[in-house]
Amino acid sequence: MKPTLALLTVILPFLFFQGCDPIVTEFPPVSNAISYQAKEVVDVPGKDTLLVMTWNIRFGVGRMAWFGDACGERVIATDDEVLTVMEALAAKINELDPDIIFLQEADVESKRTGYLDQVQWLLDHTALNYAAYASMWEAQFIPSDGLGRLNTGNAILSKWEITDAERIQLPLRGDQDALTKLFYLRRNILKTRIALPGKDNFYAVDIHATAFATDDTKKKHLARFKEELDKIVSDGGIFLAGGDLNEIPPGAAKLDYCLEDMCEGESYHQPGDDPEHREGSYFLYFDDENTWLQGLYDTYYPAVAHSDYIADEARYFTHTPDFANLSTDAWDRKIDYLWASDPWVAGSDSTHHEAVTTSDHCPVTAKWVIP
Amino acid sequence: MGDSVRKNGILFFVGLVILTGFLSAKSVETAADWSSGTAYVLPAGRWEMGLFQPLRYGLSGGQEFSTHPLLFVKMPNLTYKRVWKADERGVIASRHQLLYPTPLLNTVARKGIGGIVSPEFTFPAMVSLHNEVLYTKKLMGSMQVTGKAGITVGVAFGDLDKRMTIDLPLVFQRLAVFYNNWLIRLGGDVTGHLSGRWNYLVDSDVFLIPGAEENFGFEHKGLLLWNKSDRFQLAIGYKLVYGQYPYGTQWHLLPPKVPGLPVWIPLFDLQWAW
Repeated sequence: MKPTLALLTVILPFLFFQGCDPIVTEFPPVSNAISYQAKEVVDVPGKDTLLVMTWNIRFGVGRMAWFGDACGERVIATDDEVLTVMEALAAKINELDPDIIFLQEADVESKRTGYLDQVQWLLDHTALNYAAYASMWEAQFIPSDGLGRLNTGNAILSKWEITDAERIQLPLRGDQDALTKLFYLRRNILKTRIALPGKDNFYAVDIHATAFATDDTKKKHLARFKEELDKIVSDGGIFLAGGDLNEIPPGAAKLDYCLEDMCEGESYHQPGDDPEHREGSYFLYFDDENTWLQGLYDTYYPAVAHSDYIADEARYFTHTPDFANLSTDAWDRKIDYLWASDPWVAGSDSTHHEAVTTSDHCPVTAKWVIP
Repeated sequence: MGDSVRKNGILFFVGLVILTGFLSAKSVETAADWSSGTAYVLPAGRWEMGLFQPLRYGLSGGQEFSTHPLLFVKMPNLTYKRVWKADERGVIASRHQLLYPTPLLNTVARKGIGGIVSPEFTFPAMVSLHNEVLYTKKLMGSMQVTGKAGITVGVAFGDLDKRMTIDLPLVFQRLAVFYNNWLIRLGGDVTGHLSGRWNYLVDSDVFLIPGAEENFGFEHKGLLLWNKSDRFQLAIGYKLVYGQYPYGTQWHLLPPKVPGLPVWIPLFDLQWAW
C-alpha cells in the first residue's frame, strides 16, 4: 500500500502535466492554426470573381472606451454589449457578402468579451463556411488591469474549405522588459491554402503587425510578411493577403498623431516628455519608416492603388482612435490593406466608412478576378 | 438591499445557529501534532504554522483556533475546530471558518500589474461561514483516513456582477459561495508513515454548487512530508484542480510551470511548531 501511494504521489502530476496548459502560450516559429467549420455548411459554386474583405473587429466591443486603446476606463464588456456588436458585424458582412475575410483581433476565449468564440459565432451567423485561427495573445490569466483569461488573434474566413493553415510567428517586440514580453502579444502571420474550385495553388494570408513597438519590430514584421508572399509566388502560387499593418502608406501627409490621440493627463513633444511620442500614434521613429510598405506596393497589387490614395487620402482612411466621434468622418489614417498577386477589378475597392459603430477600424473590400 | 441580500442573510443566520449549537455542546480532549487535515486538534499550548499553512493554536478541551496571519489584514479569517468524540473507533470533530474577503478583493480590483479584477468593479461587504464535520479513523499500520462534509453559506451585502469572478483554480470555487449563497464541500484525507522521517498526505475535496452554472470543482493534493522533528516539517508535492469555469472545464496542475524554466517546480511548504 505504502509503495503504491508513494508511486501515485510521484506519477500523478506527470500524467496530468501533459494535459495542463501553460500560463502563457508560447509558439514555435511555425505551427498549425486552429480550424473551424460553420454549424451548417452551404455549398458554394465556383466563381470567376471574389469579393475580399479585411477587418480589424476590435474583439467585438465596437467603440467602447476600452482602457488599452481608447483613453477609457472599461475592461470587461457585458454579454449584451458584445452580442450587439457581433450582430452589427454579421449584418455588415451579410450585406456585403464577401467570399473571403481577413479578420484581426477576433476573441475566441477571453474574459473581456464573455468568453464568446467570435470566429465560430461569425461562421454561424454569416454565409462563410470555414475558418482558420491563429492566436496572437493566449494566456490563462493576465494579472493586470483585470484582463484575466485571454485568447485573441487573426482569422481567415472562407466560403471554401481551408485545406492548410499555418501560424507563422513574428518577432516579439524588442523594446520591452522580459516579464512584460512574457505576458505580451505574440503577433503572427496566418497563411492558409483554400480549395477554390479548379485551383490548387491559391493562398490567403492574414497579418496584424505590431502597433506599439518603438524599435524596428514593425519593420521586421512587414519584411517577414512580404517574404512569405514572395515565397508563395516563387513557388508558383497565387494569393490574396490582407490585414492591419499598423503603418501609413508611403507619401502620406501626416505621420504624427501623438497630440490627436493623447489622453487626458498625458503630454508629448514637450521638453522632458518621456516618452516623447505616443506609442502607436507616431509613424516616424526611423527616417525611412514611411518607406517600409514601398516594397509591397512595388511588387504586388494593392486594392487601393497608391496613386488613388495620394489623390484623396481621407477617402481611404480605415482607423480612428477618437471614441467620442461616431460620425463617418471620424476616420483619420489608413493602416488596413488588401494585397494580391494579380490585379484587382479596377475601381471595385470600398473603404466602408459607414461601419463606424462596429469597430475602431472599418472594413475594406475589393473584387479580384481569379487568374 | 434587495431580495438576494435578504436571502443571503437568512442563510448566513442559519449557519450561525448551527455553529452556536455546535459550540454549546461539550468537547473532548484529544490531540495530535501536524494534524490539520484530520479530526484531531493540536495539543493545548502548541503552535504550528507554515509558509502557506495557517497559524494554528491548540487549546485545552480539544479545541483549536487557526488563521492565515499574513492574509488577515486584507482578508480577516478565523477558523475554530473542536473534537466531539474520540474512542478506539475514531475521532469526530467540527470545523467552522468565518471569512471576510472584501478588502482583499478590492485591493486586487485595480489598474496595472496585480489587477486580478477589473477596476470597473467594487466588491460589496461579503462574509462566508463554513461549517464541516470531520471523522478520522486509524486503519492498518500508521494509515489514518479522514472524511469531511460541510456546508458554506455566503452573504454579499450588495450586487455582484458576474464579470467580477476570478476565473482561476482554487479561487473560483471558493468565491462561488458569494454568487450562489451556499455550497457543499466533501472531502477525504489519507495520511501515514512511509519510511524513516518520511510521511505522506493525499487528499481530495469536492465542491458542489447547486443551482450555479459552474457547479462542480475537484481538488486533489499529494504531499511527501519530511519530519525533521516535532518542531519542523518540510512538505513537497503537487495540487491538481479540476473545475468548471465560465469558459469551460479545465484541469490545472499547481503550481503551474513557470514559463522560461526548463522543469516544473513542485509545491513545497516549510512548517514550524513550538
